[in-house]
Amino acid sequence: MDEITTGHLKRLFETKLNKAMRLYLDTCARCGLCVEACHVYASMPETKYTPVGRAEVIRKLFKRYFKLQGKFAPWLGETISFGDIGMDKAYEAAFSCTGCRRCVGFCPFGIDTQQVMGIAKLLLMGVERQPQLLAMLSDMSIAKGETYVESGENYREAIKNLESQVEALAPTPEGRETIPVDVQDADILYVGLSGAHSIIPAAAIMNAAKENWTLSYFEAVNFAAWLGDAKKQAKISQRIVDEAVRLNVKEVVVVECGTATRVLKFQSGKHDFKVTSIVELIDRYIAEGRIFLKPGTLQGRLTYHDPCQLARNGGVIEEPRRVIGALTGDFVELTPNREENWCCGGGGGLISMGEQEFRMKSAKVKVDQIKAARADIICTACENCHTQLTELNDYYAMGMKVESLTNLVARALTGFAEKN
Amino acid sequence: MAPTGFTLFLDGLYYFIMVPLVYISITVMVVGIAVKIASILSSPPPAYSLKTFPARKRPALAALGDTFGMSMIRKRKPVFWFFLMWFHLGIAFLILGHLDLFPSINIMPAASRHMVGAGFVGVSVTVPAFYFLFRRFVGENRHISVPADYLLLLLLLFIFLLGDMISWGNSWTAHGFVMTKANFSSYFGILSSFTFMNPRTVLYGSHYHFIVLHVFLAELFMMILPFSKIVHTFFSLPLNMLRRR
Repeated sequence: MDEITTGHLKRLFETKLNKAMRLYLDTCARCGLCVEACHVYASMPETKYTPVGRAEVIRKLFKRYFKLQGKFAPWLGETISFGDIGMDKAYEAAFSCTGCRRCVGFCPFGIDTQQVMGIAKLLLMGVERQPQLLAMLSDMSIAKGETYVESGENYREAIKNLESQVEALAPTPEGRETIPVDVQDADILYVGLSGAHSIIPAAAIMNAAKENWTLSYFEAVNFAAWLGDAKKQAKISQRIVDEAVRLNVKEVVVVECGTATRVLKFQSGKHDFKVTSIVELIDRYIAEGRIFLKPGTLQGRLTYHDPCQLARNGGVIEEPRRVIGALTGDFVELTPNREENWCCGGGGGLISMGEQEFRMKSAKVKVDQIKAARADIICTACENCHTQLTELNDYYAMGMKVESLTNLVARALTGFAEKN
Repeated sequence: MAPTGFTLFLDGLYYFIMVPLVYISITVMVVGIAVKIASILSSPPPAYSLKTFPARKRPALAALGDTFGMSMIRKRKPVFWFFLMWFHLGIAFLILGHLDLFPSINIMPAASRHMVGAGFVGVSVTVPAFYFLFRRFVGENRHISVPADYLLLLLLLFIFLLGDMISWGNSWTAHGFVMTKANFSSYFGILSSFTFMNPRTVLYGSHYHFIVLHVFLAELFMMILPFSKIVHTFFSLPLNMLRRR
């Protein structure tokens, strides 16, 4: 690798050296506690799939370029350079990690491999080796933010076509639109995904609760978060933030998408509005008696997969369980569960990138966990997890039903006559 | 008999290790740690919270628990946790035992033949250190280890073993203890009072060579500490705060 590129990569690396990163890169004792935390390693036991194995790639580059050891005794830490196999290893490390952060809970120091992989992703962008599909999807999201006014009419028309399906689940409150868009001073701005399935059930639930809500023009998903491009990530989030400010909403509610929720809730700065996930909203509606669920709509035993970004990394842990409690009495927990749940294997952009073979093989431990629960239905509250679980169900012929929690709730809505 | 050239060289070397190098190594360690802490403090903070959930009501307390109780290890690797706790407690007593050698501190009476722990503290760090070394050769630990991991453990082991030997060696002669706590206190007195006297005048046992080697390896350890993973001594708590706050 030529000196100019090396210098460029060093400068990129340096931009990531914040307080946390310096601690992460200096402190690992290679105790091996994190090894068993990773679902990829548990399914495909190779050193390169351990959290420490991944982080060591970056640590070895760090030592090589930023530490005295790299200059005087590189053999001590087995340092590597950008030029030889460094970038290949960085790619393999970064995009075999789903960023689930299960290892953070295993490490005695709480070293965050997802953060360390952020360096790998930035370096890959520095040599144009980022996954092109994720880059393209990120750019498309940004472009949509720039042209949404022009395409607004088409969007409204498309949304109108979904109204009958929403009405079939719950009646529209009097004097309101079934799927309102651009409602000034709405209480809630709901941000869905680019698919009717992410809008219809949520709309029905909010209508059943007689919520003063409005639908966002934008999809919640943030491809740049998986790409590791902080600037683009901020731009994608900003579209929604700007919309929320323009409409003067009190709360932004994010569709079943763990990453989108985490990015908007914790990584997009402080706002005058609150950010919650749809699961938290449903839980609140049930607690306040604003929606009622018909028991017995589910046939068979249900289990729940905690999405990593929503539970361990977002704090939405007990809310889905309370919602499920209102849906069915026939519920069984996965083991482990909550913050210790195994990642489904679809995070970190792997679903968007395809990578089916890797995703299926690396989630073997997830499949074993699900099978052990002996449930008939598995539900989750994240689009990525839902897609991955659906594919796992087919690939491993598990014979289960895979459901989204919002969908289950929407199908069980009842009590409109009493409330109306 | 007048000292020969080699004996003079050895005496000079021993003196350098036992006095000036002690100051040099402590300075390197303190400055190295200070520079490291300063470089971390001067770096920008992370752009957003890195905490994990469920959130703790008292994050600082939880971080203290993570750091000193290591519950995540106790839960998953109880044997490893047992040795880690044993080792770290041993280190705490080891530091205490060495501090006790300063003439102004007397946890053990000044006239005592023994240091704190009477040799058991040394064993308390040696046994776990052997466990840590053997553990490095097993399973995935072998693949994730780098040469520095082995060398650091070997360095610690040699320091501990030499310390053990000094403790035990004291009782190997027919006359009982050759060097007592009082002798070591005199040496620490020379160091703390900056008299630059030759320690050989107060450490007159036949195993002085082992003491020199023990001190030299300890100096080596102090000098590499700021540049090694041993910095976790200082950074474990702030790291655990990151995931709790």
